[in-house]
Amino acid sequence: MPTSSMQKGKTRNENPRGLLRFALACGILLLPCIASAQIYLPRPAPEPSEYGKVILDNYSGAEPGAVVFDHWMHRSKFTCRVCHVDIGFAMQAKATGINAKSNSEGFHCGACHDGKRMFEGKTIFAACSGVPNNQCYRCHSLGKNGVRKYEYKEFTAKLPKGIYGVNWEAAEKSRAIKPVDFVEGLSVRMTQMRRRADFSVDAAYPWVEPINFSHEKHAIWNGCELCHPEIFPSAQKGTIRFSMFSNIEGRGCGACHGKVAFPLNNCSGCHSRAPVWVP
Amino acid sequence: MVPTAMVFKAKLWTQLAPTFKTTLRKRTPFKQILVAALLFVGLAAWSGARAVHGISTLAGQADTARQSSQESSESWLTEFDNICAKTEDAMTFSQEELTVLIRRCDNLQPQIEKLDESRKKVYLERLRKCRGLYAYVLDAKRKDKK
Repeated sequence: MPTSSMQKGKTRNENPRGLLRFALACGILLLPCIASAQIYLPRPAPEPSEYGKVILDNYSGAEPGAVVFDHWMHRSKFTCRVCHVDIGFAMQAKATGINAKSNSEGFHCGACHDGKRMFEGKTIFAACSGVPNNQCYRCHSLGKNGVRKYEYKEFTAKLPKGIYGVNWEAAEKSRAIKPVDFVEGLSVRMTQMRRRADFSVDAAYPWVEPINFSHEKHAIWNGCELCHPEIFPSAQKGTIRFSMFSNIEGRGCGACHGKVAFPLNNCSGCHSRAPVWVP
Repeated sequence: MVPTAMVFKAKLWTQLAPTFKTTLRKRTPFKQILVAALLFVGLAAWSGARAVHGISTLAGQADTARQSSQESSESWLTEFDNICAKTEDAMTFSQEELTVLIRRCDNLQPQIEKLDESRKKVYLERLRKCRGLYAYVLDAKRKDKK
């Protein structure tokens, strides 16, 4: 006749199996969540010199080769608005319809790179002038060494640094850079922008700090029409559900942050009390 | 049988021929030559002046036409600049003003669509952004009113 201790022992012997099954079931159930979490975690940002680099390769394999566009170089000289509104560069890859013809006719890159326009006392070289020369490789430089004039390290040596590359906001504040917002013959002369009030955006989860959104700063750099209505289609508070998922997918804040503006890993850039940097 | 008309022509010639011959044989006086030459030069100068005036008038007309076509070709740009220079102030406009701006964008679009490929590509995109903002602000204002 089994004793109570024997019964207890049997129960003890059966429990590990049950626990194992339970753990296994939980694991199976959690697997998609873990997998999706891995997908939606911001990818580690590349080196600051590589960050925001745009490769224009509309004609794969064709000479003179793909264009490497350093966003950091141009953002130090111009506001976002000049290029993405006045010149008409789209915010998505391959949406601009840029080609040598439009450049040579004085549009897109050719709007400034026309071989005549002066900037900071220098003549801006002509893009796609139709005469093949060494200047072609200043832009068509993918896979070619030593053809580019500006290198990130030298160019940004005197600019204030943040936790990730150049702190562009501080650079502008300290007048180390003076981004131009008007290009003669391209830009429309506008009235002085009225002050845009900053506001708070609630995070999707209660344990995440709300964002103190700097509307003023964004409006000065971007103008109004760059963000509204394309990136942020509603002016009604609470109608857009912001999430890191949509940001990582390139929507909302992710239209710029994570591509060319500071990376999404820099939580404290928006959530003031968040960790400084999540690699 | 010889036709009557031919007989008449032959008779006329026999009557007039001696008169022509005597006229040709006579020496024309210098005065007449001078008058004829002056008349000829005057006539030539007058017709030349007419021609030059005509050409210049035509050139003037062509210039005016060219100028007006240039003006009309650039009038879309002036209109574009006028519309899109106001985007920064969009929030200050009334619903009526925004509606007018949107309508002006819609009216301008067909003109931009007629431009060359590159210009069309750039300016349609710019107009789309501009119109989009006004529509967005108008929508926000309507919702605010509700």
